Amino acid sequence: MREPASEPSVLREPASEPSVLREPASEPSAPTLPEPLTTMASPFRMDYTYVAGTGRSVFLRGLAEGRMLARRCPACAQVYLPPPEFCSRCLSRLDEPFELDGRGVISTFCVVSFPFPGQVHEPPYVVAHIQVEGSGTRLMHLVREVDPADVRIGMEVEPVWAGEDERENSLTSIRHYRPAGDEYA
Amino acid sequence: MRDVAVVSFAQSPCEAANRRDDMAGILLPVIREALGAVGVDRDDVDFFASGSHDFFEGRTFAYIESLDAVGAWPPVSESHVEMDAAWAFAEAWSWLQLGEGDIALVYGIGRGSLAADLDQVLPAQLDPYFLAPLRPHRDALAGLQAAAMIDAGLTSERDLAEIVVRSLSAATGNPYAQKSGHLGVDQVLDAPYVSTPLREHDVAPVGDAAAVVVLAAGDAARRLGDRQAWVRGLDHRMDTHYPGVRNLTRSESTRVAAARAAELAGFGASEVDIAELHTEYSHAEPLLASALGLERTVVNPSGGPLAGRPVTATGLVRIGEAARRILDGRAGRALAHATNGPALQHNLVCLMSGEAAA
Ligand SMILES: [Zn+2]
Repeated sequence: MREPASEPSVLREPASEPSVLREPASEPSAPTLPEPLTTMASPFRMDYTYVAGTGRSVFLRGLAEGRMLARRCPACAQVYLPPPEFCSRCLSRLDEPFELDGRGVISTFCVVSFPFPGQVHEPPYVVAHIQVEGSGTRLMHLVREVDPADVRIGMEVEPVWAGEDERENSLTSIRHYRPAGDEYA
Repeated sequence: MRDVAVVSFAQSPCEAANRRDDMAGILLPVIREALGAVGVDRDDVDFFASGSHDFFEGRTFAYIESLDAVGAWPPVSESHVEMDAAWAFAEAWSWLQLGEGDIALVYGIGRGSLAADLDQVLPAQLDPYFLAPLRPHRDALAGLQAAAMIDAGLTSERDLAEIVVRSLSAATGNPYAQKSGHLGVDQVLDAPYVSTPLREHDVAPVGDAAAVVVLAAGDAARRLGDRQAWVRGLDHRMDTHYPGVRNLTRSESTRVAAARAAELAGFGASEVDIAELHTEYSHAEPLLASALGLERTVVNPSGGPLAGRPVTATGLVRIGEAARRILDGRAGRALAHATNGPALQHNLVCLMSGEAAA
């Protein structure tokens, strides 16, 4: 989980001795400060089991089958996608899952144009909240197959699924979203 | 001081490894049970406080998942401590003392099973310069403490085995215990050493569980039930972090916390009927009993942590188990102790009574 940083900058010594700690020049026998330690290796490796829980498992297993499964709260009628096990408003256990086709509209988005270590996608790329038709919550995903400059809030989009043999219990089973509707047909 | 009482307690069974439920899934039925027992609706709760630790979860801010069991919509007044939930209890008690509200819900979630190997994780909780690089086994510091106690004539391996036998036997009456049974002292002494002089059963078995305590002040507490476990005194104190500086055979932090709690309560640890002690190892019991001045008190009637240690929920379970015996009329006064850190570094003492302060 926590890889040792190759260069722990916080432990580096200052480039020059801090002047405030210098003894007055008139005293020849000024004591010198001990040389501070700059690095010591103590690498940790930690392995964990994550427990997805029943609610997330329903949704993640659906993705492996190419299905987007939503669930409705029996008490307040909120529809969740992705669904937890319990409604976060009224804590009721959500009803049986049902399938949505995943099409929806962009409710908000941003264009990531900044390169960073470990980046998976080549910038610039669009990260969006998608209001999937039939869901009361917003799903986060990438929007591709469109020039970022042409993306608009309210744009109709549809999911692009990974090939059947590539699908896993993960949101990466949906490769990305792309514009749908007549103007891009 | 304001009169503040524990009015309800619930817990989930301590499981060696719960692979079915996420954090919210473990917690939600326990919160429902604790609130349902006193007819309190979630909207009536003025403050939520919780305790858990990212070291055990393997990710940062892991506790936020637990808010799905509280319902953070509409937004709630909430606080979390990155330690045993007994300290969340201390925060909620202080919050009620300040008059900020009347009802607080405290929950602890502990999942000791998620780390593939706790020996990978626990050194990270030690001093990173002098202790962590040595990678002592997770039970090594406890072994140092137990060996020093035996050498000082404060206990013996046979005494420790008797504590184990009594605890696991008491746990046969506790449906939430992870481990229980009627063992013989010789059987316990035949078990292999884990970290001398500590053997297999001297070490609390780590598991997964949640605990929930409902606190209420004054008239709100009286309205919610016939009996209340009034928190008459509470204090916690910490020893220095480098164990080599301490005399490991004594717990000065426990002694001072108990003295301060007694000052608040108007009665001391020696005057309680039962005590639930956060003993992660058998040798902690004589050490704590000595620091608290316990004499004829019944210790760990639930079986205590030697019957199940759901890491960061363990201390809150002690408070709940002690309070429960007052709520059901089996005890008039009770003490709960909780600890954090290696070799009993940080200790909390809570004194409760069926009677509010005069
Ligand atoms: Zn609902």
